[in-house]
Amino acid sequence: MTTNVPVIDAHPTVPGLPKNYLNCSRGFMSWAGTLDHKRIGIMYLIGTLLTFLAGGVFALLVRLHLWEPHGMLFTNEKYNQIFTLHGAFMVFLFVIPAIPGALGNMVLPLMLGAKDVALPRLNLLSFYLWLSGAVLATLAIVLGGFDTGWTFYAPYSLYTNQAVVTIGLAIFLLGFSSIFTGLNFIVTTHKLRAAGLTWFRMPLFVWAIYATAILQVLATPVLGITVLLVAFERLYHIGIFDPRLGGDPVLFEHFFWFYSHPAVYIMVLPAFGIISETVSVHSRKPLFGYKLIAFSSLAIAIISFLVWGHHMFTSGQSTYAMFAFSFLTFFVAIPTAIKEFSWVATIWKGSIALNSPMLYTLAFLIIFAIGGLTGVILGALNVDLHLHDTYFVVAHFHYVMMGSIALAFFAGLHHWWPKMFGVIYDETLAKIACGIIFVGFNITFVPQFIMGSQGMPRRYATYVDEFHGYHQVSTIGAMILGSGVALMVYYLVASLLQRKPAMENQWGGVTLDWQTPTPPPLENFYAPPKVTHEVYDYSTLDLKTLQRPVS
Amino acid sequence: MSHDGHHSVVIPAPGPEFVPHTVAHHFDTPVQEFQSLKLGFWLFLATEILLFGGLFAAYFYYHDLYPETFREGGRLLSWKLGALNTSVLLASSWTMAMGVRSAQTSQKKKTLIFCGLTVLGAAAFMVVKFFEYKSKHDHGLVIFTELFSGYDEAAKQLPWFKDYDGAMANVPHGHMFFAIYLTMTAIHGIHVLIGAGLILWIMKGTAKGRFHAGYYLPVDLVGLYWHLVDLIWIFLFPLLYLVP
Amino acid sequence: MIALLTQDPQAPVNYVANPAPAPVLDKWGQLPELASTFDHVDGLFYFTYIVCIFFFFLILGVLLFSVVKYRRKTWDQPAASNVTHNTPLEVVWTVIPLIIVMVMFAWGFKGCLDMTTVPHEASRNTYVATAKQWAWDFKYPNGSTSTNEVWLVVGKPVQFYLESTDVLHAFFLPSMRVKRDIIPGRFQSVWFTPTITGEFHLFCAEYCGKDHSRMYAQAHVVTQAEFDKEPWNPPIDETNLQSLIENGKRIFGQQCVTCHTVNGTGSVGPTWKGLFTKQGDQYVGRQREVIEGGQKKTITVDDAYIIESIKQPDQKKVAESPYDRNTMSSFANLDDKRIKCLIAYIKSLADN
Ligand code: HEA
Ligand code: HEA
Ligand code: HEC
Ligand code: CUA
Ligand SMILES: [Cu+2]
Repeated sequence: MTTNVPVIDAHPTVPGLPKNYLNCSRGFMSWAGTLDHKRIGIMYLIGTLLTFLAGGVFALLVRLHLWEPHGMLFTNEKYNQIFTLHGAFMVFLFVIPAIPGALGNMVLPLMLGAKDVALPRLNLLSFYLWLSGAVLATLAIVLGGFDTGWTFYAPYSLYTNQAVVTIGLAIFLLGFSSIFTGLNFIVTTHKLRAAGLTWFRMPLFVWAIYATAILQVLATPVLGITVLLVAFERLYHIGIFDPRLGGDPVLFEHFFWFYSHPAVYIMVLPAFGIISETVSVHSRKPLFGYKLIAFSSLAIAIISFLVWGHHMFTSGQSTYAMFAFSFLTFFVAIPTAIKEFSWVATIWKGSIALNSPMLYTLAFLIIFAIGGLTGVILGALNVDLHLHDTYFVVAHFHYVMMGSIALAFFAGLHHWWPKMFGVIYDETLAKIACGIIFVGFNITFVPQFIMGSQGMPRRYATYVDEFHGYHQVSTIGAMILGSGVALMVYYLVASLLQRKPAMENQWGGVTLDWQTPTPPPLENFYAPPKVTHEVYDYSTLDLKTLQRPVS
Repeated sequence: MSHDGHHSVVIPAPGPEFVPHTVAHHFDTPVQEFQSLKLGFWLFLATEILLFGGLFAAYFYYHDLYPETFREGGRLLSWKLGALNTSVLLASSWTMAMGVRSAQTSQKKKTLIFCGLTVLGAAAFMVVKFFEYKSKHDHGLVIFTELFSGYDEAAKQLPWFKDYDGAMANVPHGHMFFAIYLTMTAIHGIHVLIGAGLILWIMKGTAKGRFHAGYYLPVDLVGLYWHLVDLIWIFLFPLLYLVP
Repeated sequence: MIALLTQDPQAPVNYVANPAPAPVLDKWGQLPELASTFDHVDGLFYFTYIVCIFFFFLILGVLLFSVVKYRRKTWDQPAASNVTHNTPLEVVWTVIPLIIVMVMFAWGFKGCLDMTTVPHEASRNTYVATAKQWAWDFKYPNGSTSTNEVWLVVGKPVQFYLESTDVLHAFFLPSMRVKRDIIPGRFQSVWFTPTITGEFHLFCAEYCGKDHSRMYAQAHVVTQAEFDKEPWNPPIDETNLQSLIENGKRIFGQQCVTCHTVNGTGSVGPTWKGLFTKQGDQYVGRQREVIEGGQKKTITVDDAYIIESIKQPDQKKVAESPYDRNTMSSFANLDDKRIKCLIAYIKSLADN
């Protein structure tokens, strides 16, 4: 069963011994005003998990409503608000900030051997910007909701009589939160690496977060100005996006996707980073093709700025634009394919421990292959003219966003949970939950591929009878998926209450994050670490105790 | 924060009228701190440029779509006031640069004077801007009191654009130029105000002696910010006032 | 949030009045049977599909094999190999996908050119589709019109000009593999050649607000002979009450059913049932509170009120929640004859 647990527990986390970042100070202000990257990471973790659950509840409402062809729960208007809320919460409040904000904050400085991020105050500001964005988004619900879809396409978003300006402001703040996080991580990676930690000794999680950060800094301002323009348009009708005033709604689409396509890589690159770590640690094998993975992250970051038009193949672009956007879309799949194959090759001939992080990782590898490859189907020009804005697209992006990114997030969460809290959750329950989530997920979204290719349009509150069966299966799947998530929340919270101590190096990792005490002390390391090995060099690991010899 | 034996590095003050600077605890050396903040700030400036980049993209798009509108609209702006403002900003960039230089050489009084002059420049810029806006308001090109009155769908009336003189009557979508003019200059104006606020904050710090040859980074960064604000105006001025 | 969750479910109105029957699926059981000449869509779809399945099973296979074979048996077991790269292998798995995607790209682009280059025959057979929240108006080459139903000739290439009067919509005929956004103020068009007769779905595929999901039209593909009978304009015998009622019912089904019901339950607009009651031979209109020019007043429903409601719906707004908040678009294009049919139909709903 628990093949990864050494017989002798060399360093149990004994309570009462040297203070760690969790118990070094107490009280509300010691958290709310903290500059410690780990505490900020924990606050992000709680925040983003809550928004994920809220978004998930909206998703369940969507699915329940679609149980009947004429809609079971809501008026069309309410349904439209709910799916918009679901999309906006999941994208802006959960999936973009979650991995960099929670795990990046927690782990990146540890991996670099730094005492903190370069700009701790800015880090705290990022968190509060996120929080005010979340509060404003919730306020927007109270103020009457918004029903524009998460894409806010003009001119509908200009005419609909709801809290669009409020949610626009929320997105503006969230955007700056994301920019500041990215900026911070770039500086930290450049300036705060430990002695001996050359660029090519950095763990791939750092590379991934670094590539993400470039995207955050360069793409997000365009989103900022776009939502500002929408707000101006609504407040004083500048006419830029309003066809009644000579504006061009397609310009809005260009602005929006210029951000939102890179944004999908802002979401997925950190997930790639996590998978690179878990694949290596739980196979106890150096990553296959380290440099290619590192460079492919950068390649993806760069090319992803040039493919946004693939969301607009039906909007009547010029043939040249279609040509270029489709070509580059296919092109961007190649670096991703390289990664996928490298991970698989890493597992090959490894020493594979089926711990719960590894199960989530395997689930990711399988689901991401489907999600990514269906993206490639959508990149084909003529096929996309049929599939655009159908449930096929919905299924595609849930395979990548829920099935891949959220599962990678869970993989990382399980992987670093012992490091973060010094406690270990119930492994058996974790494996069961992972299984339920995997099965439920596929039951939910496979039918959506099928009905999508048959022509079921998305954002439909009601639908023609022939899709009834598919929708019902999908709803059942969502309930299974939801119960898996609920189980996960349960055992994670329970582990904090039961306080079963984790080991110093729970999974036998060799990067710097596993060389600090568990949980880490306030400034991460007792002595400034020095890196003398290549990254992922498991020969330095003492397999008897799972301790890495301290140099 | 030296609970585990690390002691923070302190940069001594060059004289009694200055205070020493303590390097933040998580940095090992002053150089590391300096470079980190500087890199961070440059990245921030990059996002600012991209933010305006969106606006410039919109400008070029509509300039292409409605060239006459931009030609006629540009004529209605006073290029003289625009040029005046350009020289005011250019001069203020120079005073700012001198301010940074004085801070680097621990010349407290000079720093204060040059920063003060820069703030005056910002104020002059805003005053000129006010008169420009007022004249647009008087001609019904941007009626500020009507900005938020909504759009009358039935009458196809845009309340803030009445064009009393009929100057834009013969071109399609005459309001478009003024919408873009207003949006761009207003967002730029907000940046001018923020910049002026930051310089005032620098002056306060200077008066307290916090900035000197050993530690002048904030002055440097605010200086960079001010140059950026200036730079953006250098692009705005010809595009709005001259190119048409 | 609570208010959001505690809304009444909407009255179960029809999704649409007369949806087309479910399309037959093609022999692979995935796409609806192709009803136009754009077979390259299906070809490329299935090609990429097979590629996906191949890579999926390849990855799955390697993973399963590794997990079984290289499973860690003792906790200190090292990896069976510590290889970190293999250049030939890496080249292979870069180049092969690259070739595959370039094939897809070329195939897709060629197909797309076919779909966007309008042939002459199609431009000589041009319809206009006007999308509005939430209905479709069609204009035939000969100038006649129909709403939410359109008739096409099998085997004859056709082009649609696409116009929107308000927000974005999209013209989506799944069986024809045709989709195009409709953008207010921008010229957009599509063309295709229907190849089999039958009834097909025409969806709105771009989110356009509340009743986006009910913005539906039926496309009838018929033979030239049947088309020449102009089935969208059936003869109306004005002297025959039954003919009026039937035609009124048809027009209701096409244009009004998205917002009105005839069974007494409210929808977007008030139900038509009970607008009149029958006393002997006479139809008596009900009393109705309306808002006219900001004033509330009570009127008696009569033919003139119905006509006004159709042509200038904003003139007198029903003073009853939620109808006072909802708006009805003007149907000024309905001629007197058709309005007469509608009135006859509304009256036929009256109880004794
Ligand atoms: C994080 C999220 C994420 C990720 C990673 C991706 C990845 C990709 N996406 Fe996706 N996409 C979305 C999120 C994402 N997408 C969202 C949210 C939308 C809809 C937005 C909306 O409208 O609301 C969308 C929509 C979308 C569209 C528009 C569809 C439409 O609306 O008509 C297209 C079209 O080209 C597309 C393509 C791709 C491609 C080619 C990739 C590639 O990067 C995938 C690369 C991955 C692989 C290729 C798989 C792994 C490799 C192998 C298994 C090896 C074999 C490979 C080959 C033979 C090529 N996506
Ligand atoms: C990260 C992004 C993300 C994630 C994770 C998800 C997750 C899910 N989504 Fe999401 N979805 C989007 C992003 C995402 N979605 C976006 C961007 C859109 C487009 C919106 C638009 O068109 O504008 C969309 C649209 C969308 C639609 C289409 C709506 C339409 O077009 O009409 C559907 C329909 O099935 C759907 C379903 C689901 C389901 C079932 C899940 C499930 O995976 C959710 C699983 C999670 C749970 C079920 C939570 C469980 C919680 C509990 C059990 C509560 C427990 C509580 C405590 C313990 C306190 N989503
Ligand atoms: C977009 C939705 C919509 C459509 C389509 C629509 N209506 Fe209406 N209708 C309304 C609404 C909302 C009201 C009530 C508010 C008002 O009076 O304007 C209404 C009111 C009416 C009334 C007055 C009813 C009363 O109870 O006093 C009549 C008559 C009417 N509509 C006829 C029609 C006819 C005929 C058609 C089709 C040709 C039609 N409507 C199509 C939304 C619609
Ligand atoms: Cu019209 Cu959606
Ligand atoms: Cu994309």
